[in-house]
Amino acid sequence: MNSIETINLTHRFSQSETALNSVNLQVQQNTIYGFLGPNGAGKTTTLKLILGLLRKQQGEILVFGKPFAEQRVQTLKNIGSMIESPSIYGHLTAAENLRILQPVYGCPQKRISEVLELTGLARTGSKKANQFSLGMKQRLSIAIALLPSPSLLILDEPTNGLDPNGMIEIRELLRDLNRNHGTTILVSSHLLNEIEKFVTHIGIIHRGNLLFQGTLANLISKQQQYCFIAFETSDDAGAVAIINKFSTLLRADSGNLATPILPKEKIAAINQALVQNGIDVYQITRVESDLEKIFFDVISD
Amino acid sequence: MNFINSFSSEWLKKKRSLASWLVVVGGFFTPCIILLSRFKNAAKLPALYAAPNFWLRQWNQSWESMAAFLLPIGIILAAGLVTQIEFKNNTWKQLHATPQRFSTIFFAKLLVVLVMLAETFVLFNVGMYLSGVIPSALFGNVPYPTAAIPYRAFLSANFNLYIDCLPILALQYLISLQFRNFLVPVGVGFAIWFLGIGLLSWRYSFFLPYNLSTIDFFISSGQFPRDRYPLINIHHLAIVYTAVFTIAAYVLYVAKKDKG
Repeated sequence: MNSIETINLTHRFSQSETALNSVNLQVQQNTIYGFLGPNGAGKTTTLKLILGLLRKQQGEILVFGKPFAEQRVQTLKNIGSMIESPSIYGHLTAAENLRILQPVYGCPQKRISEVLELTGLARTGSKKANQFSLGMKQRLSIAIALLPSPSLLILDEPTNGLDPNGMIEIRELLRDLNRNHGTTILVSSHLLNEIEKFVTHIGIIHRGNLLFQGTLANLISKQQQYCFIAFETSDDAGAVAIINKFSTLLRADSGNLATPILPKEKIAAINQALVQNGIDVYQITRVESDLEKIFFDVISD
Repeated sequence: MNFINSFSSEWLKKKRSLASWLVVVGGFFTPCIILLSRFKNAAKLPALYAAPNFWLRQWNQSWESMAAFLLPIGIILAAGLVTQIEFKNNTWKQLHATPQRFSTIFFAKLLVVLVMLAETFVLFNVGMYLSGVIPSALFGNVPYPTAAIPYRAFLSANFNLYIDCLPILALQYLISLQFRNFLVPVGVGFAIWFLGIGLLSWRYSFFLPYNLSTIDFFISSGQFPRDRYPLINIHHLAIVYTAVFTIAAYVLYVAKKDKG
């Protein structure tokens, strides 16, 4: 079952500016879905539409299998969210910020100390939130999102402003919520290497179009397609004819000869044949594309 | 139950905020000024305190500046400050992603401003009483006012003035919900209020919603004749204005395309 499903979700800020173009997002229950895209790709717009913060123009939004707009209040009881920059009351303490929302969600009083402990804010005492560092503000926003013990967590760039240690802690926390409490998590980011470490599924959005959606394993197998063997020789034109006898060439431009990944023995044979035909081989390189490169390849296609 | 929870949530938000201090300052400002002027004119106090209409004079002196100036200004600022709590902290998106109906959020916030106004009235009346009795406790030659406090008349006048202020509150709430910049509701509010003061002597000045508390006070204190508006009931007009502004504010609030 999908916790979130959008069907042909389209949103325009003006006639000329299409923010989302028929986005079909599918976030399965009990998964951690990394929603990836560069700044301005449409991530926040999508998340705002899912939470009802923007009025839907075209398409369908189903949350927990039901149209969101029809059961907005009931649905939001099971969603914790954090959109864009921290949303906290600066003149109040961390505990007071949570106390404001506790009656609204109807959660027990002890949940306040639990989420403060979980996010490492238990010892902030009477310090006002506007005296917090950006990282602490981010933690408090996450604490607010966790307060209702939600079955679905929607976090927009949750590690912004956190130091590397803080990032790891939040990652661990999210992984724990997913594994041990079955919380479905939709987390957006513009950095693949930041979320690849803990997500199970990935969606890549660019200029309002969802370009890729699938498991992390799908994306990794896509990565294999972007690996190749590059040859640098003294006579590329002559080398093309020789290499073609052993393998198909992915690229055969001068200075840019590339074959798919080949067994070691075959690479040695090509090398030998090139040398025997009087062509100097300067370099044979195995080029591997990391996920970050795949991300850029996907959005630049 | 949902509404009570929402109201208590909204009420907590104004803790330590400027809006909560405004209630205290608004309630006690005029009584403090009156008290200082009494200290300055201590020689005239024995005659004043022996007067049979002491409390009526105390009431008129206290309300003169309150009804015409401080109350409208206070309401303009309070309505703006309550909505600014969300704008300034960038928390509208968090609030609108909580499981509350938009109508619940709208009316819970409105009720906070209404209760703050009621608090100001209570503090003002307490302040008025204290500024009346403190001089007699401090100066040996000033008697405790022997005149009976006309409780019923004061209660009824308080209620009427509260009703007369509601159009200001409703319109300011409408504007404050629409604009992130605090200067917009304050600027518009002050402009309407100035206009009202400038046109106070005009026959139809009651059409300006920010004038109603001033007109009510001027009529009740005898500065305007009682039959100045024979066909118009100021308090009914205030209720109509309040209803119209509140409905408009609600429609505009709910119709906002971007609630984040």
